[in-house]
Amino acid sequence: MSLRPAGLGWVTPLGRTIDEVWAKLLTGVEAEGTTFGDSLGGKQSHAFPVPPAAIAEANRHPRLRRASAISRFAVLAGLDALRDGKLELDEVSAARTALVFAISNGGVIYTRRFFHDIVKSGASAASPLLFPETVFNAPASHLAAILGITGASYTLVGDGAVGILALKMAEDLMADPNLDRCLVVGAEETDWLLCDAYRRWRLLRPEPPIEPFARPPKGMILSEGAGAVLLARKGDLALEHIHAGGNFAKQTELVRQLDMVCGSFPAKAAVDILIASANGTFVDEAERATAAKRFPTAALYTAKPALGESVAAGGLWQLICAAQALRTQRLPPILHAPAGSGLTTVRSSAGKRWRRAVVTTCGLNQQLAALTLRL
Amino acid sequence: MREQTNHRTGPVRSRVAVVAAGVISPLGAGLAATLKALREARDCVSPVTRFPVEQCRCSSAGQVADEWLRDVMPNDRKSRRLHRASRMMIGALAELLEQAPDFSPELTVVGTTSGGMSFGEYYYRALQLTGTSAGSPAWIANYPPQKAAVDALEACGLNSPCQVIGNACASGTNAIGHAFECIRTGRYNRVLTGGYDAISELVFVGFDSLQAATPDKCRPFDGARSGLVLGEGAALLALENFAQAAARGAEILAEITGYGISTDNHHLTQPNPSGIGPRQAMERALRSAALAPQAIDYINAHGTATPFNDAAEGRAIAELFGRVPVSSTKGMLGHSLGAAGAIEAVLTILALRNEFLPANINFRVSDVGLDLDIVANKVRPAAPAAALSNSFGFGGTNASIVIQTLKA
Repeated sequence: MSLRPAGLGWVTPLGRTIDEVWAKLLTGVEAEGTTFGDSLGGKQSHAFPVPPAAIAEANRHPRLRRASAISRFAVLAGLDALRDGKLELDEVSAARTALVFAISNGGVIYTRRFFHDIVKSGASAASPLLFPETVFNAPASHLAAILGITGASYTLVGDGAVGILALKMAEDLMADPNLDRCLVVGAEETDWLLCDAYRRWRLLRPEPPIEPFARPPKGMILSEGAGAVLLARKGDLALEHIHAGGNFAKQTELVRQLDMVCGSFPAKAAVDILIASANGTFVDEAERATAAKRFPTAALYTAKPALGESVAAGGLWQLICAAQALRTQRLPPILHAPAGSGLTTVRSSAGKRWRRAVVTTCGLNQQLAALTLRL
Repeated sequence: MREQTNHRTGPVRSRVAVVAAGVISPLGAGLAATLKALREARDCVSPVTRFPVEQCRCSSAGQVADEWLRDVMPNDRKSRRLHRASRMMIGALAELLEQAPDFSPELTVVGTTSGGMSFGEYYYRALQLTGTSAGSPAWIANYPPQKAAVDALEACGLNSPCQVIGNACASGTNAIGHAFECIRTGRYNRVLTGGYDAISELVFVGFDSLQAATPDKCRPFDGARSGLVLGEGAALLALENFAQAAARGAEILAEITGYGISTDNHHLTQPNPSGIGPRQAMERALRSAALAPQAIDYINAHGTATPFNDAAEGRAIAELFGRVPVSSTKGMLGHSLGAAGAIEAVLTILALRNEFLPANINFRVSDVGLDLDIVANKVRPAAPAAALSNSFGFGGTNASIVIQTLKA
């Protein structure tokens, strides 16, 4: 059973509609960074935020009135994916639709605000309005309510691999013949606290750009947004294989584990494109090594220098990039890639039609996963 | 993983066996200690000491004793950095592997709501108080919610893809239900499943701020119930394709035969008062198990003891089942959120195998609006063959599983 991405949606620091953001990626546009000055540690952090104009439509939904940014991103991306798939859910079709969310850091803004009140003023100052929005499945709950989904709704938590893990769960759910489709959404929001944490974890770069495949790695820049993929049983693209990967105990084990995962894909010689999760950290070297060994002729791409590291949303963005590359037969330049690597220009299939892409997601906290997408 | 599903002809329907289990909860560490406490209907809720609760309405919780976690792993530098949630999971997995040493999962599906949340609290508090945080890299690296599951696999020499469900209080039952479906459809043979959560200040204060936590005893389904008390713990089940488990002569503890999930879009934190969400989950679980309501001998209810939850769940149970014996075990051990469904599945299996119904303690007076057969205060001798275990959560997530003893 191969599931088909029948509708795509994303909310990114470069904007919202699929074609608009893809055009920006092709022309080498980089998201505009913002500086968080509220860090108590006295150090400023940079991130790529979603432009407010891109999510203005969220105000139309009463359910989102008090919702956090992550819920707004998630709902809009999900609605866009349905729109892209030309699907309007009614009671019958909603009953045959499952929802799977991928979340990593979750509603960090409201969580910080809620706990800040406790630390500063004690438990009696805690806000009952904020707490429900801190729960991991709050974004999924809002989207389910807006769409009228009353059946299966799952929120998966994990690291950067959680987007593909969610796709794998969708594939398992769709073994149920009572389901016609599954909407998979990955979402993330960011603020200074998240940046501070990743900086102390020695994974963040003080300021842009992200320089992928640099040796030694120089660090990443966080971003926010959402990606959504409507999976159905018909469509021009097929998710051939989803490998839910496994876990790596140490960073040094990642190369071996990723090689094992990618080595399990059949027909690997025919891979035309590799959409990597390279973000300027230790994962870059593992993906570079895997690309050289397993997919030596594949065109390599990572969108993270342009869009930032959006963790749970990032895996879905990668799948959308793979879909767009196969459909348009073009691949954007990798911004800030090493000079002389041949990666910094727009690539195209040039006569030999691209038919298959591999997407690899290596999380920063021990999880990895990968998939192949065929046109 | 195998592909045995054809969406035109319907899925393969393999039977699903529980071949091993492990548990750590306020009732005890391990199946034997848990069974003893469960039989005694022991109240294991105690005053909270991990963080200040003077400004909270509620000041008690079901807590796992630190000494139970001390010996679950070596006392080395890496182990000392792990969160209590990881230690609970390691303990539960080690017990499971004692029963099934060769169990090698193709997939791990577990539930949690907050994982290593308290490490995030330590980090933020240190940041607020000092502007710096010397211990923060270890806190941050061990804080993510999936970490406890990954740590447990690693500590026990296992590796499998790990899907960690964060469906609030339904997470544990959702995890077992999804794991069940993965085997039932023939896509997997062996899945490790369960749930975990460790008590944290943020979550404790959160429930207190909603006035969902009680300053009184936790009294599920009581007419004067006033809210929940929180708990913590971890429980794991080894699920295996029944035919395969039987062929290799494995001891089969129980059979999972049905799963139902529903989403109630009424409100982020409150169930639809009609009980439609719980009712749909239970109906779907029965349909999945191909059982009539009359075939259910016992219901381990979600039964948080909040006025809204118990009213909605109780109404749905009464409408669907009539007077089936019902108990909530949360009065004894508190509500362990993402672990609750998994722990309660283990308690239900223990009850089925040992022929009694767990007690719904702290019960004083019936709710006049609920016509239920509550197993009040003492265990009830019985020989149940089929039980239903419910979990419902924020976000309107409802989950029910059917657990059965082996058919003769």
